[in-house]
Amino acid sequence: MKRTLWKTAAVAAVAALALTACSSGDSGEAEPTATSSGPDTSPVTLNFTWWGNDDRAARYNEALALFKEKYPYITVQTSFAAFPDYWTARSTEAAGKALPDVMQFDLSYLREFNQNGQLLDLQEWVDNGTIDLAGFDETLTTAGVLEDKMIGIPTSTNTFAMFQNPNVIEQTGATFPDEADYTWEDYNEFIAEVSGAGEATADGYALYGAVDYTGTFWFFIQWLLQKGITPFEEDGTFGFDEADVTEFLDLTADLRADKLVYPVDRGVSLAPKGGFTVNETASEMSWDNFLAGYVADSGTDNLAMAQIPSIEPGEKALFFKPSMLLSAGANTEYPEQAATLINFLLTDPEVGTIFGTSKGVPADADQRAAVDTTEGSVDAQVIAYEEKVAEQVTESTPIPVKGFGTIESKWRTLAEELAYGTLTVDEFAEQWFAEAELSTM
Amino acid sequence: MTLTAEAPTTGPSTAAHTAAKKRRKRSESLAGYAFLSPWLLGFVLLTAGPMLASLYLAFTNYNLFSPPEWIGMENFTRLFDDPNYQQAWKVTLTYVLLGTPIKLLAALAVAMLLNNAFSGKGFYRSSFYAPSLIGASVSIAIVWKAMFIDNGIVDQVGQFFGFPAGGWVGDPERTMPMLILLTVWQFGAPMVIFLAGLKQIPQELYEAASVDGAGAGRKFTRITLPMLSPVIFFNLLLEMIHAFQIFASAFIISNGTGGPARSTLFYTLYLYFRGFQDFQMGYASAMAWILVIVVGALAAVFFWSSKHWVHYSGEGK
Repeated sequence: MKRTLWKTAAVAAVAALALTACSSGDSGEAEPTATSSGPDTSPVTLNFTWWGNDDRAARYNEALALFKEKYPYITVQTSFAAFPDYWTARSTEAAGKALPDVMQFDLSYLREFNQNGQLLDLQEWVDNGTIDLAGFDETLTTAGVLEDKMIGIPTSTNTFAMFQNPNVIEQTGATFPDEADYTWEDYNEFIAEVSGAGEATADGYALYGAVDYTGTFWFFIQWLLQKGITPFEEDGTFGFDEADVTEFLDLTADLRADKLVYPVDRGVSLAPKGGFTVNETASEMSWDNFLAGYVADSGTDNLAMAQIPSIEPGEKALFFKPSMLLSAGANTEYPEQAATLINFLLTDPEVGTIFGTSKGVPADADQRAAVDTTEGSVDAQVIAYEEKVAEQVTESTPIPVKGFGTIESKWRTLAEELAYGTLTVDEFAEQWFAEAELSTM
Repeated sequence: MTLTAEAPTTGPSTAAHTAAKKRRKRSESLAGYAFLSPWLLGFVLLTAGPMLASLYLAFTNYNLFSPPEWIGMENFTRLFDDPNYQQAWKVTLTYVLLGTPIKLLAALAVAMLLNNAFSGKGFYRSSFYAPSLIGASVSIAIVWKAMFIDNGIVDQVGQFFGFPAGGWVGDPERTMPMLILLTVWQFGAPMVIFLAGLKQIPQELYEAASVDGAGAGRKFTRITLPMLSPVIFFNLLLEMIHAFQIFASAFIISNGTGGPARSTLFYTLYLYFRGFQDFQMGYASAMAWILVIVVGALAAVFFWSSKHWVHYSGEGK
């Protein structure tokens, strides 16, 4: 009797332990593979994750099917999320030292994750040839190097472009200024002209020139570069002050006051879409790889790309932002296989064909050559644009400070309040700096 | 585990009858704990442990990546100067103070209607209860958002009746009414409890009151309300605590931003942003503990005040 009692109790206790323990993830399936001669071809499973929309997921799945054919012993388990949720998930995993084996990474979060050595130093795998960076510009291979460790390698590059919807411009009778030497003031006039035309879509929604571009932190950085200011110093301090912030925000003060920029409440209800993707604004400034997404979302296939405005006519001070870095978690049990996957995604020409310019212009020369550049295609347009602005790319990529992701999203929320009129430009600058001080310390 | 480890300490048996009895009693209670152990372990490892950890983290600067660093009361002093924190309290209190009473009034009103005898009662009871079953889910928040969005069904009906066009979702003035409507719509759970309470009220009381010539209003204030007060107390407490915890619907309707213009920046939402978007776990822990203390204090005040307005039948009050 007594024995049965204790047996039952023990079973119950063990069951409870097992139940509570199952959240702590997979318990080591195998010892880390030693770096012996020749690749280890025993079957392994890698976790791979990225941010993006369904279109990107479809492309990744296609690319990974190809990977499975070439490396049948590596199974890749995938997951993806939208950009903000993606970082929430990764940061929680980092706290538990359980990052995915391979993941898409962004410059803005590199510094945070580099603390405590969360990311694998890929240099070893570049040196032994597992990752082949022969087709990369040197500026790109060093983009993901922090404290002498290569913790990420960019898949592609982006730069800013001005997208136009010719149908909307035509309907409102406005003319877009000369892209080569128009200034921010000229652009403002264009916005006012379109918004003031009083035209509307078939559904009765008014047409506007653009959203308030001061709401995006990256445009502020671009503007600072045009002003000759280095946004972030090597030691993580800012090269700008509150006066620069208010000056930038004041660029569109009149447009905001006269309600000539795209209404914020309409934008909020459309999110994650925007005025441009529902064909209600004439123009939008953004990263040049957005073209594919814009065309898909808006259903308008004659969208045009122009250069962005500048402070001094013709001095665009553009920069190439290395984007969609690939990184491996330092906790991975299969660093060699992770490196193999990274190399495949970075350099395989067929992968280049699959993704086109949807992640930006590929960093690898072979992948770039493999992009389908049929005359008039989206990819051809993006590549032609980057070639056109190549000589305007005079700045090196601003080094993202620690906490960049936070100050960037803080800028977005404050800009929304500015648009609603619940905040003044001075309060914006003050609150943003207070936040930045805490986030970057 | 610590409980089961005590097993070998049961001493050598003596002949005494009482000792054997004692032992049996002891082993019975140990067995009780053993059977409780799944819950106990869950509580210690998943609830109490993390809570204690967060109490410690509340006094540290912890960003998930590097080890926590002790900073004393700094998180708490920072909270006082944080305009977003004040906004979070304002939004949350507005929601609790408006949403809870309106929801309970709706629940009580419908419960009283359903308490009358008529055919098809069961059907109505189920259909009024249904929204609260699905209410906490993500899908209903998405449906709600679609209904209230620019040119959504609510907007179209509103325009038909001459209200200005424009969705509720993008208007900071109207997001709070929208969320309150969502919680009021889910009055099913308190309604069922009210209904049970109403059935407990002896009919003789009403009959006696009728004989004395009391009208419907008088019967309500003099019989129904006092007799129902324990149920009202229970519902009020439960719904208040529940309202403080609003998260999913606000997160989804604001697209995970607490916007527009911070109008849906609920306490829990802001806590989440601080912890998991800004990686300020220490700050978020400090916020969590303040919320626990405030809600705990409110509940204590509730219990204390209940002496004065809650009547339990048979107490002769």
